[in-house]
Amino acid sequence: MSRPTEPSMDRVLHDLQERAKELACLYRVDAILARPGLSVEDLVRAVLAVVPSGWQFPDICLARAQVGPHLYEPEGFRATDWVQAAPITVRGQPMGRVEVYYTEPRPHGDEGPFLAEERRLLETIAERLGRVLAGRETAATSPAQEAEQSPGWRVVLEFLRQTDRVLLGRLGRKMINHLCWSGIDEAEELLRQISPGGGALEPIDENRPLPRASLVADAETTEAAFRIAPEHLPDEEILALIQGWIREDKTTFLKHAVERLDTPLPELVEALERFRQGGIEERDLSVATQLGLRASLVRRFLTDQLGFVNISKQVLEVNDFRELALRIVAPARSHGRIGGKSAGLFLAGKILERATGYEDLLGRIRIPRSWYIPADGILDFIAHNDLTEVHNRKYLDPDRIRLEYPHLVQLFKNSYFSSEILRGLAVVLDDLDGRPIIVRSSSLLEDRLGSAFSGKYKSLFLSNTGSKSERMSALTDAIAEVYASVFSPDPIEYRARHGFLDMHEEMGILIQEVVGRRIGSYFLPVFAGVGFSNNEFRWSARIQREDGLLRMVVGLGTRAVDRLADDYPILVAPGQPGLRVNQTADEATRYSPKYMDVINLETGSFESIDLRTFLAEHGEVIPLARQLVSIVDHDQLRRPTGLLDFRRDELVVTFEGLISETPFMPRMRALLRVLREQLETPVDIEFACDGEDIYLLQCRPQGATHGDAPVPIPRDLPRERVLFTANRYVSNGRVGDITHVVYVDPEAYGRLELARLRDVGRAVGRLNRTLPKRRFLLMGPGRWGSRGDVRLGVPVTYADISNAAVLIEIARLSGGYVPDLSFGTHFFQDLVESSIRYLPLYPDDPDVIFAEPFFSHSPNALADLLPEFADLADVVHVIDVRSVAEGFVLKVLMNGDLDQAVGVLGSPATVAEEETGALLAPQREAPDDHWRWRLRMAQRLAEQLDPIRFGVRALYLVGSAKNANAGPDSDIDLLVHLVPTEDGRGELEAWLEGWSRALAEANYLRTGVRREGLLDVHFVTDEDVARGRGVAAKIGAITDAARPLPTGGAGTR
Amino acid sequence: MSRNVNPFEVAQAQFDKVAAILELDTPTRELLRTPQREYSFAIPVRMDDGKVRIFRGFRVQHNDARGPAKGGIRFHPHETLDTVRALAMWMTWKTAVVDIPLGGGKGGVICDPHHLSQREQEAICRGWVRQLARNVGPVQDVPAPDVMTSGQHMLWMLDEYEAIHGGHYPGFITGKPVGLGGSQGRTEATGYGVVFTIREALKLLDLRPENTRASVQGFGNVAQYAIRLYRQIGGTVVCVSSWDQGDQTSYSFRKSTGVDPDELVAITDRFGGIDKAKARDLGYEVLPGDAWLEQPVEILMPSAIENQVREDNVGKIHSAVRLIAEGANGPTTPAADAEIDKRGIFLVPDFLANAGGVTCSYFEQVQSNMNMYWVKDEVLGRLDATMTAAFHAVADVAKRRRLPMRDAAYVISISRVAQACHERGWV
Repeated sequence: MSRPTEPSMDRVLHDLQERAKELACLYRVDAILARPGLSVEDLVRAVLAVVPSGWQFPDICLARAQVGPHLYEPEGFRATDWVQAAPITVRGQPMGRVEVYYTEPRPHGDEGPFLAEERRLLETIAERLGRVLAGRETAATSPAQEAEQSPGWRVVLEFLRQTDRVLLGRLGRKMINHLCWSGIDEAEELLRQISPGGGALEPIDENRPLPRASLVADAETTEAAFRIAPEHLPDEEILALIQGWIREDKTTFLKHAVERLDTPLPELVEALERFRQGGIEERDLSVATQLGLRASLVRRFLTDQLGFVNISKQVLEVNDFRELALRIVAPARSHGRIGGKSAGLFLAGKILERATGYEDLLGRIRIPRSWYIPADGILDFIAHNDLTEVHNRKYLDPDRIRLEYPHLVQLFKNSYFSSEILRGLAVVLDDLDGRPIIVRSSSLLEDRLGSAFSGKYKSLFLSNTGSKSERMSALTDAIAEVYASVFSPDPIEYRARHGFLDMHEEMGILIQEVVGRRIGSYFLPVFAGVGFSNNEFRWSARIQREDGLLRMVVGLGTRAVDRLADDYPILVAPGQPGLRVNQTADEATRYSPKYMDVINLETGSFESIDLRTFLAEHGEVIPLARQLVSIVDHDQLRRPTGLLDFRRDELVVTFEGLISETPFMPRMRALLRVLREQLETPVDIEFACDGEDIYLLQCRPQGATHGDAPVPIPRDLPRERVLFTANRYVSNGRVGDITHVVYVDPEAYGRLELARLRDVGRAVGRLNRTLPKRRFLLMGPGRWGSRGDVRLGVPVTYADISNAAVLIEIARLSGGYVPDLSFGTHFFQDLVESSIRYLPLYPDDPDVIFAEPFFSHSPNALADLLPEFADLADVVHVIDVRSVAEGFVLKVLMNGDLDQAVGVLGSPATVAEEETGALLAPQREAPDDHWRWRLRMAQRLAEQLDPIRFGVRALYLVGSAKNANAGPDSDIDLLVHLVPTEDGRGELEAWLEGWSRALAEANYLRTGVRREGLLDVHFVTDEDVARGRGVAAKIGAITDAARPLPTGGAGTR
Repeated sequence: MSRNVNPFEVAQAQFDKVAAILELDTPTRELLRTPQREYSFAIPVRMDDGKVRIFRGFRVQHNDARGPAKGGIRFHPHETLDTVRALAMWMTWKTAVVDIPLGGGKGGVICDPHHLSQREQEAICRGWVRQLARNVGPVQDVPAPDVMTSGQHMLWMLDEYEAIHGGHYPGFITGKPVGLGGSQGRTEATGYGVVFTIREALKLLDLRPENTRASVQGFGNVAQYAIRLYRQIGGTVVCVSSWDQGDQTSYSFRKSTGVDPDELVAITDRFGGIDKAKARDLGYEVLPGDAWLEQPVEILMPSAIENQVREDNVGKIHSAVRLIAEGANGPTTPAADAEIDKRGIFLVPDFLANAGGVTCSYFEQVQSNMNMYWVKDEVLGRLDATMTAAFHAVADVAKRRRLPMRDAAYVISISRVAQACHERGWV
């Protein structure tokens, strides 16, 4: 919408602003004059007080008036040479004058420092004042007369006639439209006159272009419109309409600025600034204008994703964007958006600020100080350093990308930022002085790929200590490193897999203060964590999905974000804070955090330190420390009351005090609820507490992380392929490609002698080590891992089930009641951390399918796999799904939204499924790739192996490479059948070790997974094979048999 | 569940076997085969969400001929009256074998604390006491912590009991923290008790402690204190095994010059898990979990969990082994038991070896009733006397009646209870 013939944008904006001020001033004068019961003096003084607001420089503007013998001056009035004056006349007789003074010199305008429009304004005011004074003088004027004499809107029109005919024309046009819309015939006639083509709303011929109609009514039509208006509308309504239209007219400049994609950021900031200073309240604009402006701003600064725009425009106000824009560090020509992470957090912050009804709870939840570099900053950086060729690196061979990546990081780190960015970053450093900083990526692709994509790019902690130049250098280094991570192999691989490779990745940067405080030589939040609106890991039937879930740790939240192999965060459901996962002192100790992440301010590095040592050293000065720990006293867990000795007492982190004695839980619950309601989706948040306030660090839609999205459950599944369904306590999740089912028959288990029950547990433990990892499902009666009475459930420890994909507890009706299930409580947190799915089945419920014959009558492979447990075959059924179900595998689809799950037979993962499933379960690799490569490598190795030299009778492949389910970190399991003499063995081991290391390196280049060796070699002898001992049992086995690999020269032997 | 695994029937069968050995008369058998009193009642609790739920509570007082019934209160979702009956009967025999003036009882509530808030658990505890306030107490029946209950639950129960009776009765319940009616020495009691019996058994075997070596399975509370006291009396522990949470398997730690419990405790977690790497640095060999059993030592102390010495590994026990003291509950399976007996290895059964715990509970009750508390040395001194006497009584019966120690322990305890019933004129 460029208008080249008109004066510059600046000039227009300025003029408009001035006009608006003048009009605003006039309204206020009018309002005072209409006020009944004021004495002449009060009236005049009130008018004088508002007069300066209509002038260009109100700060140095004073007005005085002479009315008859009386001179009215404001306090401290001082006459100067810069004066504008207008006479007050009453019925043609001079009665006095109004004067406006500037107290300081100002640039030359039309009339000294004054504008011509200001003269007209002053004359209008003087004239209005004269009329009212005349009315007072006669004291006989009827109210009706007065109204007729001067309704406010006429004054405004009169003023516009003199000052701004274009605006007047636009008002005329709007009035005609308004009158038409109100169904007034005369107005329709007028409209027809100004819009050739009859002003008809419908097109005459849909294929012929409509004739153009002027949007500005000519003077004559305008006058006509305002002649018709008072016949149909009351004066107040006309005035209100005119005021509204003028206000909206004032926002046009902002609309233009925002809608034009090439408006540079600084100009946009200026437009927002003018809007703020223009004195218009956003709420006075029509709803349509408000929403239109907001939506444009959201698209410009945040995202063009429709869902997000739709929600944001209800929450964010125009002035919020000014606040945001002032914290953007951008190259001069930037038009970029700030990226998904930044946008999500900004919106969430405003939602919390505006949430009504929760003020007492959400009042102390804050957003850390943040600065943004827009997403196109990286393009500027690349262009500035002449690195454009990096854009094409993503098309290189993955091995090469990985090999060259370290070099690329250094290249980026040794590049320069433009001076504008450096200036901006200097401001950032001043703002965040004395605070550690986190530099986070805020990718545009996150918007498209969902949060599954987050975490692919780097986030870096900086201690932000030292001289300013050291701090600056650390900050630019970090930004460069985050930029480089766009070109790192993992995200490129991920993008390639999902068809986003050809899109330019633009990545915003979020520079945030780290929430926390200094304790000793460390900087850390007192506690931090992640929260979810939906609880996908319920440990009790009493916990509803909507009760949510928090994972909390002491120190930086990094330990709560990821699932940990060696440590446990504290889990709490905000809706049911009383129901704790761990009840006994032993449980609470075992499943409590042992380490914490901190920033070491002395070394400037990020560290994991021992939590107990930290508490012992600094317990006394940690705020809220008493709320974080419980004391273990024999078998008892108690909250610290009275004296607490951080060195001597046996302390364990439980957050008990925080949960039960402070408003923390209600606060987090309100936080999750408000965000969920406003964003219209369950959310996933990160938070931290510095010991006083709680800070929201991140907010994004829940789901897609860790495969926790609800899985669609097809309605039309063939009944004969459904093995079970569940409709109680279902969480989200999807487990595909289950090749084996271990089914402990509840009835047979109940009949077993007490002494044999433990054997069932041992058999399960052995199967756990034998069956393909994460490809088998365990189902059994009652409570797995029950520590008390072993008849209540199979006695296993976590070690016995650690490789299962799903754990199912079956509750069968017995003696008229259905027993409680454990929900995996005995190793609940282990299940969570290793993503083993849990599902309770109630086969006796109505509308539930349970294909018992499949489980109890399918061929049982137990005796073949574990001959020593063959006599348990009535109780423990091992079903090789593929061989029983004609090549099908078992898939478990779980949808917590519907509270439904189904176990269904289907083909092994198809491409289509990969495409939809991959987004739902991002950690899953394309299955084909890894095992094929491993198989190929194993064959290559076998070809090279000289069986005579090394005394090898045969070579076999077992495990995941053979079962086609190897992942990027899987090893290659080889089974070497040796001839009885062991002469060659040492040499063979060395030979294989060489292969193992070489393959590990090759695998690293392919996948980025670092391992010392890739081969896992099992040696077996003739005797082992004859007896079917250990792994040797796989040779010629019925299920999961070892795959022979032809060795070099095999034909000659 | 089918009938042949009913735990109460198992306990009754065991009793019948011993009753036959003792040639008890029919009324005595009838009296002792079944509990004297059983209470089964409803506990209504208002839950956190405002709804009321009814929980089922039990208390079984199997026999109180020798003194107030004594036994734990369990919170278990699949609790049955028959389980509680069996456990109550075993408590009667256990108090009798160490010859303390108490009977046997057991109780529980059908519930899973994992699905209950602290407030709801407190309401259950108080509800349990309200139902039984007139049938339990320092001179009737003394509860204690058990599966899924702790000192905290005991204190809630005690508080309710005292509120109903309008006074202080710390002797109502045991397992209380020190300072609120608990006893010193509770931490050491079980481990020390094991070694008191070992010391006495060595005398019978004519071995001097300083000439013996021991291998210990487990490094939890019981094992740690057993090792300390055994070293004090001159023995050398050369191997301990412990469960590794990270690797989900157990390892044995061997040091032929002798294990130092202090240096190991410093690198051990609360559950007895020893840090492998640090142990290596301290000069320990890290061996597979089962290696503890194969060591050339005179004494084995299985002090971890049940079913550790089985038919499949009992053959690995070194020929040097003379004595096995069961610090854990049920570490030896019946098949292994027979093999151990055949090889002539002296076995101190769990029932006797780990009775230090219940003995200390008795001392807690005594002190609570007096409202006067002993120093730790006094508690441990009295424990020594009680355990020593109990051991010799059992060993004496075993020798005289040519019974395995395990059978002898049952024989002596049932005989003591039967005698008390007779003397009271009940049968």
